[in-house]
Amino acid sequence: MTSFIIRRLALSAVLLFIISIISFFIVTLTPGSPYPWGELNPKISAEVKANFRKKFHLDRPLHEQYALIMRDLFTGNLRSIKDDRPVMSRILERLPATVALNLTSIVISLSFGTLLGVTAARYSGHWQDALSSFIAFLFIALPGFWITYMVVIALVKGFGVPILGTNSYGIEFPNGLASGLDTLWHLLLPATILALGGIASQSRYLRATMIESLREDYIRTARSKGLAEEVVLYKHALRNSIRPIIAGIGMVLPALIGGAVVIETIFAYPAMGRLGYEAVLERDYPTLVALNFVVAALVLLGNLISDLLSAAVDPRVRLE
Amino acid sequence: MRSIRLFLYGIPMTLLVLLVAAFVNASFLSVAKKNEMSIGIIGEPSTLNPIQQADSASGQVAGLMFNGLLKYNQDIEMVGDLATTWDLSQETTFQFGSEEEATKALSLLNVKRASNSRSITTIARDGKNLTLTLSQPGLTDSENIAHILTATGLHPLPFPPLEKGGKERLFKAEPIIRFTLRKDVRWHDGAPFTSADVAFTYHAIMDERVASPRSSDFELVSSLETPDPYSVLVRYKKPFSPALLSWMQSILPSHLLEKVEPAKWSEIYNRHPVGTGPFKFGNWKTNEFIRLIKNPDYFRGSPWLDSVVFRVLPDPLTLQLAFQTKQVDFWAVDPWAVKSFEKDKRFDLFSSAGNMYNYIGWNLRRPMFQDLRVRKALAEAINIPQMIKYIIYGHGVQSNGIFTPKMWFYDPKVQPLPYDPKAAAALLDEAGWKPGPDGIRMKDGKRLSFTLLANNGNEVRRDIATLVQDDLKKIGVEVKVEIYEWSVLLKRFVNKGEFDAIVLGWGLGNDFDQYAIWHSSQTHPEELNFVGYNNPEVDHLLTDLRQEYSRPEIIRLAANLQQRIYENQPYTFLFVPEGTSVMWKNTYRIRRPGSKPGEWIDSPVTMTKAGWDYDMEWFYRPEYPPGAKR
Repeated sequence: MTSFIIRRLALSAVLLFIISIISFFIVTLTPGSPYPWGELNPKISAEVKANFRKKFHLDRPLHEQYALIMRDLFTGNLRSIKDDRPVMSRILERLPATVALNLTSIVISLSFGTLLGVTAARYSGHWQDALSSFIAFLFIALPGFWITYMVVIALVKGFGVPILGTNSYGIEFPNGLASGLDTLWHLLLPATILALGGIASQSRYLRATMIESLREDYIRTARSKGLAEEVVLYKHALRNSIRPIIAGIGMVLPALIGGAVVIETIFAYPAMGRLGYEAVLERDYPTLVALNFVVAALVLLGNLISDLLSAAVDPRVRLE
Repeated sequence: MRSIRLFLYGIPMTLLVLLVAAFVNASFLSVAKKNEMSIGIIGEPSTLNPIQQADSASGQVAGLMFNGLLKYNQDIEMVGDLATTWDLSQETTFQFGSEEEATKALSLLNVKRASNSRSITTIARDGKNLTLTLSQPGLTDSENIAHILTATGLHPLPFPPLEKGGKERLFKAEPIIRFTLRKDVRWHDGAPFTSADVAFTYHAIMDERVASPRSSDFELVSSLETPDPYSVLVRYKKPFSPALLSWMQSILPSHLLEKVEPAKWSEIYNRHPVGTGPFKFGNWKTNEFIRLIKNPDYFRGSPWLDSVVFRVLPDPLTLQLAFQTKQVDFWAVDPWAVKSFEKDKRFDLFSSAGNMYNYIGWNLRRPMFQDLRVRKALAEAINIPQMIKYIIYGHGVQSNGIFTPKMWFYDPKVQPLPYDPKAAAALLDEAGWKPGPDGIRMKDGKRLSFTLLANNGNEVRRDIATLVQDDLKKIGVEVKVEIYEWSVLLKRFVNKGEFDAIVLGWGLGNDFDQYAIWHSSQTHPEELNFVGYNNPEVDHLLTDLRQEYSRPEIIRLAANLQQRIYENQPYTFLFVPEGTSVMWKNTYRIRRPGSKPGEWIDSPVTMTKAGWDYDMEWFYRPEYPPGAKR
C-alpha cells in the first residue's frame, strides 16, 4: 500500500513536469502579447515596449522564461503580468466563491441525480422512468450555454431580476433576511444551471447500475425473506450501486476549484473560470501556467484518492 | 432507512424551496436605491496607479480619484485643474566664436527689440553665449532672429542635431512651462498637495523600474525644477507642442511613494490609491466591483453622490443585462438597437460623433496600389453611404480624412470623394487596367486582384470587407476576403507590412500629432505606418505641427495635413460611427458650480463636446437633492 502510494506520487511528479512544459509552450506560443495598452497604440514608443518586456523577462529565450517561471512558482514569487501581484494570491482570492459555487452545484447534481436515478430504476419501464430519461437526455443534449441564455433571457426580460455577480447592487436591503436570500439567489441560480449536466449523467449511471443490482440473487433473497420494498431498495440495492459514484469522487477535488468558464462569464460570477478565461485573453502567462499547474496537480491527486477509496470500499480491488 | 429517504427527498426539496424563495425575494427587492452611482466596466482594471495603467477600465476608475495639472473643459479647451496658470516661454541660445561678436549681436538685437520684435522679453549675454527669452515657444521666431544675425554678417555657431539625421541649427531652442499650483488641494489622507508631488510623478514616470507606458510623453523634458511649493518649471530639450497635453497626467502623492521601491507599489498603493480627486478609494472585490466614496474635502466642493461603484463585467452582453436589471446606470447601445431605445420613453439617450474612423489601408509597397489613379478609383467605387446605412444603421458620417469632426483642429471643408463607379472605371482604364477575359481587369498580364484582411470578432469590419468585395467586383476588381484572429492578423501581416489591403480603424483622442502613423520614418516592422506611406510634403507638415504652439497656426497646419493626406488616398477613409449611451430616464441630474463664486447651475444630463459624462463628479440623483444635504 505504502509503496503503491510512493510510486504513484513519483509518477505524478514526472507527469506534472511534462504537463508544465506543454502548458507553458501552448500559452507562450499562442500569437498575441501581454501588453496592457493594446496593439497599434501610437502613444507607446519602442523603449516603453522594451522596458516592459525586460521587466517580465519576455526578452529572454523561451526555455529561460520557462525556468524563471518555474523557479518563481516554487518560491512563491510568481507575479501576474496584468497587475503585478503574486499569482498565488490571485488564485487564492477566487477560492471561496469558486468552492461555494462548485460545492453547491455538486450537492445539487448528486442529490437530484440520485433521486432521479433511483426513481427511474424503481419504476423501470413505467412512465416515471420515461420521464426521468427524457429529462436526463434533454440536459445532456442541449448545450449548457444555450440553456443558460434561455434562463437568463426569461429572468431578465420577464421579471427584471438581477442575476449578475454575487449579490445585487445599489439597493438598501430592508433586513438581513432579504440580503441573505439575495446572496443565496446569486449562488443557487448559476449552481443549478451548472449542475444540470451532472444531474443527467448521475441519474443515468445510477439507473443502469441499480437495475443491474435489482436483478442480483441477493435482492431476490432479501425480497423472499419478506423485507419491505423500501429496505430492499435503499439498503441493499442502492448501497451496492454507488461504486461508480465513489470512483467519481476523485474528480470532485479538481471540480471544486476548476472553473466553469461559460456560466461564470454569463453570470459575471467571480470564480476561477473567469480568472483563467481573462488570463487567456490578456496573455497573462504566469497566471495561466500556475492555474494549469494547480489544476493538473489536483487531477492527479484526485485520481490517487479515488483509487484508494475504491480499494477501501471494494475488497476485490487490489493496489499493486 | 429513514435517514436514507430523508436525504434522498429532503435535500432536493430543501434546495427547490430555497431557490423559489430566493427568486421571489429577488423579484420583489425594494426599489429604495442608495445614493450611489453604478457604472459597468468591461474587464478587470489592472492597477489604479495612473502612471502604470494603460487599459481603459483602469483609466475610467482612476479618473474620479485623481487630478492632473491641466484638463479639458466641456468644449475641449485646455484649462487648469491642479494648476491655476501655466505660462509658456522659450529660451533661445546663440553661440558665437568670440565675446566681441556676442556683444555685437546683443546690441543689434536690443535695437531690433525696441523697434518691432514683440516676442523677445529678455536678452542676456554670458561670455560667448547669448540667451534670449521668447514669449512664445516654437521655431519660427528663433529662425527669424538667426536670419537677422546672419544677414548682418554675424556667424552664430551651429548646434549638433538632437537626434540622428536631424537638422543642424544655429540656435538651441528650449521651451519652458511654468505652472502655478492651487494652494487649497489636499490628498485624501489630509497631506497638502505641493510641487514636490509633481516632481515626484515626473521622476517616477521616467524610472525604468516603474515601466510606465507614459514615459515617451516626457522624454523631451530636460529638467523639472520646483522653486517653491506652488511653482513648477519644466524645461524641454526642443519645441514639442503635444507635450502640453501630457500634463493632463494624474499626479501621484510623493509622501506615500517616494521612499518605497516601485516593485512594492502593487502591494502598498496600486490597489488602494490615495489621490486628490472628488472620490476616495473605498474597496475592491476582484472581478466584482470597485467602490469609491465621496471626498467631502474635494477642492471644488464635495460631490452630491455618496459613492460610485464600478461593476466589473466580462463582456458587453453582461453589461447589457446589468443595465436592463438596473444594476448599472448607463449602457453604450449598439447602432442597430438605437432606434428601439429612441422610441422608448423610459430612457434618456446621448449621441455624438465618435473619435474613431474606419478605413481600408492599401499597402503602398504593392505596385498596383502605387498608382494614385488606382487608389482613387477604388475609393470612388466603394459605396460608403450604403455602408453607413446598412452596417451602422445610419448612425455615423462619411470620413474625410485623418481627423474626426469633434477634434478642434478638424477641417470640415475637405470634400469626401463621391460614390461614382463610372468615374472609377474610367480612371482604371486610364491607368491601363483593361477588362480581361474573365471580367477582371488586367495590365501587363497581371490581374487586378488582391486579398483584403479583417479581424475575427469585429462584425463591422467583416461587413465592410464583404461590401467592398461586392462593390469592387462591379468595376472588375477581384477581392479575396480573409478573416484572422486579431493577434494573428498583427503578427503575420500588419507588423511585417506584408499584406495587400486591410480593414482597420483608428481612435486617437484629441491629439493632432500623427507622426507615428504617417511619417516616412515609421515604416519599419511593428511601426504604425504599416501601409508604407512616404510623402516628403506630409513629413514636413508632421514635423512642423509638433513644433507649433499657437492655436490658429496648429489649426492651419492640421487642415493642410488633412487635405494632403486625403488627396493622396493612402487609405480609403470610410466612416466615423456615432456613439450612443443610454440611461434610465431621469436617473441623474447635474448641479455644477457656475462661473461666479457661490453660483450653482442645475441641469439635466446633456451632451457636451467632451461627452455626456464630462461632469460626472457633479451628477446627483433627484431623490437625493443636493439642497437637502448642505
